[in-house]
Amino acid sequence: MPLFDYSLLLTGQYHDMLVAGLLLSLQLLAASLVLALPIALVVALLRLSPLAPLRWLGFAYVESIRNIPLLAHMLFWYFGAPELLPEGIKQWLYEGHIEAYSAIIALALYTAAFMAEDIRSGIRAIPAVQFEAGRALGFGFMGTMRRVVLPQALRVTVPPLISQTLSLWKNTSIATVIGVAELMYQAGQVESATFRSFESFAFASAAYLTVSLAITGLATWYHHRFPVRTI
Amino acid sequence: MRLNLIAAALAASALFAGIAAHADQLADIKKKGELVVGVLGTDEPATFIDPKTRQIVGYEVDLVNAIAKKIGVKPVLKQIAVAARIPELQQGHVDLVAAGLTHNKEREAQIDFSLTTFVTGQKAIVKKDSGITDVPQLAGKKVLTIRGGTQEPNIRKAVPTAEVVTFDTSQQAFQALQQGKGVGYVDDEAALLRSYAKLGPQKAKYVVLKQNLSTEALAIGIKKGESGLKAVVDDTLRELEKSGEAQKIFVKWYGPNTASGFQTRDFKFESDKID
Repeated sequence: MPLFDYSLLLTGQYHDMLVAGLLLSLQLLAASLVLALPIALVVALLRLSPLAPLRWLGFAYVESIRNIPLLAHMLFWYFGAPELLPEGIKQWLYEGHIEAYSAIIALALYTAAFMAEDIRSGIRAIPAVQFEAGRALGFGFMGTMRRVVLPQALRVTVPPLISQTLSLWKNTSIATVIGVAELMYQAGQVESATFRSFESFAFASAAYLTVSLAITGLATWYHHRFPVRTI
Repeated sequence: MRLNLIAAALAASALFAGIAAHADQLADIKKKGELVVGVLGTDEPATFIDPKTRQIVGYEVDLVNAIAKKIGVKPVLKQIAVAARIPELQQGHVDLVAAGLTHNKEREAQIDFSLTTFVTGQKAIVKKDSGITDVPQLAGKKVLTIRGGTQEPNIRKAVPTAEVVTFDTSQQAFQALQQGKGVGYVDDEAALLRSYAKLGPQKAKYVVLKQNLSTEALAIGIKKGESGLKAVVDDTLRELEKSGEAQKIFVKWYGPNTASGFQTRDFKFESDKID
């Protein structure tokens, strides 16, 4: 037996399994990110709203999500929440890819809570006079936000959002506990089929590292290309 | 990709582990005064935690105790995960593995096996209203099972088009079946009948399919090439068989008065060969 068998990783059935896992992980990342961003923006605006009940709602969302481990969220959205649905919808869901859907919902809601805080910090980094100037020109709360504050704030917010994306990418691996056939799951399957633990997890580690470095590289590039304007 | 770097690092660590290994494990066990055995502890009735005493007990535990007694050392049970069984043994973290380990040809290249200690079929259980009555009808359907064992490859062999979803423990996989997240659940017969018995009045809604997906010979795992240790393990098992003790242990955990409810014992501790 060779000490490190490359062929396993480069061709054949096990290579295909690992690549399928990587693709599914990337799909989880993309779907969760697309869902998380708008939720995060809404929650951040709730937390800055002039109306107290809306502020409390935003606060409750962020704190209740951030303080419970992602693993518990995953198990809840897979074993718990779908059980509350009406019978017909439930059966239709369970016949499909309920595992992946539950994982995406858990990842999106979890990541959104962290992103909302980053967006809120970004908005608060814009001097209050900008907001007041907007109001003085006759725009409402939402109008001022949309035309004056958010365009400046989101530029400040992008680097921390990219680092949240990095966390999201690593968190996709937790989906393995609810049977989603993502990269960690497939690495485990290849390991139990071949007993080549080193090779299968070396592939998974290298793949996670590569994508993570690409995300970090994106953040650095953005920083150079769109520096924060000094106000 | 600098895979050669990673390979070099891995090679170095493997060498390092090699230096730490000893020539004769049996001598080491005697010197330590304890026999460390990897068990699942979540696999009733083979190895599970007795709710009253909080100790790990079961069929495999009784066999391990007999082996430790024969060597003249104290048995120490260490809980391990299904997927970690073979790596733990190879890296010398445990001396033996008694964890519902299937003896098959693929694994013979990795580790040695004792005499076969149990023979079980792997079976599927489905909800009655699914209308499924035999294994081939699982084609194209979602089938649930535990990760890291032989269940998944066996389902793929028996029903190539089934969509298999696996979980860390058999309890989670069985829970998913109860919620209807798949049409069938596959496990070793003895373990499956335990889960089935726990359903209580719900039992009427389920049916265990008669056909075996495969027949599994379970054995105790021993590190490759440790002939001294293997000889002691096999001798102990032969003695248990000769004295009638093996029969008693089987009836105690799997016999007619247990949830598994096996009427007869259809195997003997006699061979470490599989077909």
